[in-house]
Amino acid sequence: MIKKNYTGSARRARNIIWNAAGRYDFDPPFMAFFSNGHPDQYFNMVAGLVQKWLDMDRLWDFFQSYGGDRRADEFDDYLWLGLENCVYEKELPERPILEALRCERGERFFAEQQQLSRQQMEYQSMPVLTQQEYRWAGVCGRRGPLLTPREKRIAEALRFSGALDTDGVLDAMRSFLQGFFRFTPGESAETRHRATPLAKLLFKHEHRRRDRLLVRVGTGEGDHPKAMQQRHAGLGRHVGPGPEDEAYVRAVFGRCCLTDSEMRILENELCVGDDGLCRLWVTRGESTDTQDRDALEVRESASRQKKLNEAFRSEHATMVAGSVRALSTRIDTIFSSCFKHLPEPARAGRIRPEAAYRLPVLNDAAVFLKDGEETEPELCVDLLLDASQSRMHSQEVLATEGYIIARSLEKLRIPVRVCAFRSIRSYTVLEILKDWKQSDCEGLMRYFAGGWNRDGLAVETLGRLDDGAVLRDRQHILLVLTDGSPNDSTPLPSSGLLLEREYEGEAAVRSAQDAVRRLREKGVRVGAVFHGNTSHLENVHRIYGHAYVRIQKANQLAQGVSDLLLMLLRELRQD
Amino acid sequence: MDQLYTFLEAEGVDAALLAGVRAFRERYPAEPENLPRVPDPEYYYYGRNTWELALAAILAGKNLLLAGPKATGKNVLSENLGALFGRPVWNVSFHINTDAAYLVGTDTYDGTKVSFRPGPIWLCAAKGGFGILDEINMAKNEALAVLHAALDFRRSLDVPGYEKIDLRPETRFIATMNYGYAGTRDLNEALTSRFAVLDMPVITEDNLQKLISRRYPTISLKIRDQLVKLYGELERKAESAEISDAALDLRGLLDAIALMEQGLRSGSALDMCIVNKSFDAYERGLIRDVIAARVPTDLTRADVFPA
Repeated sequence: MIKKNYTGSARRARNIIWNAAGRYDFDPPFMAFFSNGHPDQYFNMVAGLVQKWLDMDRLWDFFQSYGGDRRADEFDDYLWLGLENCVYEKELPERPILEALRCERGERFFAEQQQLSRQQMEYQSMPVLTQQEYRWAGVCGRRGPLLTPREKRIAEALRFSGALDTDGVLDAMRSFLQGFFRFTPGESAETRHRATPLAKLLFKHEHRRRDRLLVRVGTGEGDHPKAMQQRHAGLGRHVGPGPEDEAYVRAVFGRCCLTDSEMRILENELCVGDDGLCRLWVTRGESTDTQDRDALEVRESASRQKKLNEAFRSEHATMVAGSVRALSTRIDTIFSSCFKHLPEPARAGRIRPEAAYRLPVLNDAAVFLKDGEETEPELCVDLLLDASQSRMHSQEVLATEGYIIARSLEKLRIPVRVCAFRSIRSYTVLEILKDWKQSDCEGLMRYFAGGWNRDGLAVETLGRLDDGAVLRDRQHILLVLTDGSPNDSTPLPSSGLLLEREYEGEAAVRSAQDAVRRLREKGVRVGAVFHGNTSHLENVHRIYGHAYVRIQKANQLAQGVSDLLLMLLRELRQD
Repeated sequence: MDQLYTFLEAEGVDAALLAGVRAFRERYPAEPENLPRVPDPEYYYYGRNTWELALAAILAGKNLLLAGPKATGKNVLSENLGALFGRPVWNVSFHINTDAAYLVGTDTYDGTKVSFRPGPIWLCAAKGGFGILDEINMAKNEALAVLHAALDFRRSLDVPGYEKIDLRPETRFIATMNYGYAGTRDLNEALTSRFAVLDMPVITEDNLQKLISRRYPTISLKIRDQLVKLYGELERKAESAEISDAALDLRGLLDAIALMEQGLRSGSALDMCIVNKSFDAYERGLIRDVIAARVPTDLTRADVFPA
């Protein structure tokens, strides 16, 4: 009935509790969920009402005092029945709907009981179940179970009166446990000794859930997405991608969303020069069947990371909502101030002296100027996230920040597409996390880090994808979230007598710089948000020119993005 | 006006201020041609203290800036003030492209010559009206510079190329602003200093009860009280940033009661007027949870309006 840990619907349950308590400044120690994981509206309200009417801290101490006993769960369930009655009686005059909600909860109890499997029944304490059945039968006007005289006394004792204050409730709880179970909370030193570690364990469960945000996949070395080192071992180890590499990339990232002929054309155009030894893979993450153990392992890690991303976003829901609001307001203001309505001739407004002669001569009254119709250039924004191994330690933050940017732009009805890029086994993989037409940004939660980053090829590939109707008559802006350190295991091809050179350092920067320049020549506005080491700042400057902003912390991203957009839009206006 | 005057007396507003209002009206009676512009408010503003502050400022010849969050009754109070003082009202909704020509007036061709077509501020100044400058901080500060002379001690409006006019003594400007709305900006100091700023308080539970009862006198008191508490709970949730303030909509609450009066079940009425104001599915779930903890979804008109 009452769980002591947080589950997926925790935020909703917490909101119900806070609402009933009438305050939002505490973290509820108890939350209630149905077996399907949905929050239990009535019992969460009860938990909130306990906060409202009683001193929950003292009650919590009491609950902890028997935490080490093997019957702790059973005691919890009994005592919450008692508390339910107490706060129900207290709150009913102020909240008449409580009666209907209580009755509804009772009916739900009976409906759930009928659906319980035999195994689930075996997990339940029959004496507790009998008491619950008796309570809810009374509430719903049903015929309850036949009780033994002892059970009747228990049922009576669990009707904690609404007149009790915290001391009264604590006395009632204490005497209930003493009277019916000969258990005195806190009496036994052994119990106390055991209770503390157990209570810690309960908390630890929560802590562990949080700590998992820090659990990182991928240590060690090797050309493997979940185990990527950031330094090259030496020259001459590149072997061109083979069918097994393609199968691996397909198994890990999902099938390619372009046809074979489209891919051929794309690779013929882009996989030349510095990227001559590379292949491309564009995917929406649609998974395929595979038996490859490595691939399955990576997929499992990615799936774990998705949950971590979601949990992180959920934990920081308030910050996320606030950031979306702030960023969308900033962008909206930027648009409003950057693009004024262009004047157009009208019959009233500001007179144009140079056209005034038309009035008497031609009897043309359209010699005035007024603000014209909307002239804001239509925009669409591509957000490209570096998903290489170097981002391993901030995956949740980056997923959430990407989500904030995408949501803010969506809110302003600016089409936005989000892609993650990484290179692996000579394939530069562009994973579309959110496409233009998708209005929800949940795909961002699929972001995970692993692999190398061949920035130039990724940027150019994104610029070359056919965007059909979306880009028509719109200015295309590409924002790259980068660490300014292009780095790939697939080397630059040999030219003339020179041997192959690694795609890193100076050569990689020059290659990325050329790619960005080519894209700009096609009319795409490219800017970068740099989040990395100072030693790479010069690289960013060389690749993106002045069109970049640097952020030191992930929470400065909103500011950084809006500054960058402002910079790009001003450029646009000047052109 | 008499009704509003009686209402303020009943609310306990300072008698000297009310006497000042009477004297103002006698001194500046509304011209018959302007009477259609004198508001006839549907709702009255509740809040004795705020009334007193606003009346004192207007009587002292000051312009008023009503600043406060959503649903604090800024526009209701502005309209009420226009009605109480019996002045014609020019309502100007500000937006990002509001400019001086839109406010003061612009050139036009009347068939024979270029002439001046007055804007709402000019009309307000010339006819001694109350200008309600709604969401003043939506406009760019540069566009508002044209108002500076009208709002300060000079009380004049100089239209380039035309004559300078002095504001009639009964002219007042009442601006409203909300810091939180998307697209709003801070007012610059020069403009702010020309207003007496009234920080609008959030409506109290007691005043909301009165407001609902006045508009819907036959509503069940039990239901009314639950709706008022519901509003308070949504307010707290929005304050704690658990939901946006999209659903915190006083107009929405009153509209929901109107729909119930028309025979819609409570659940549908609250969905239409409160829950669906949020376009986020998860947030709608949170709002529904709050409603479910206060108001049954199947209340009929007979339940809500037993009389």
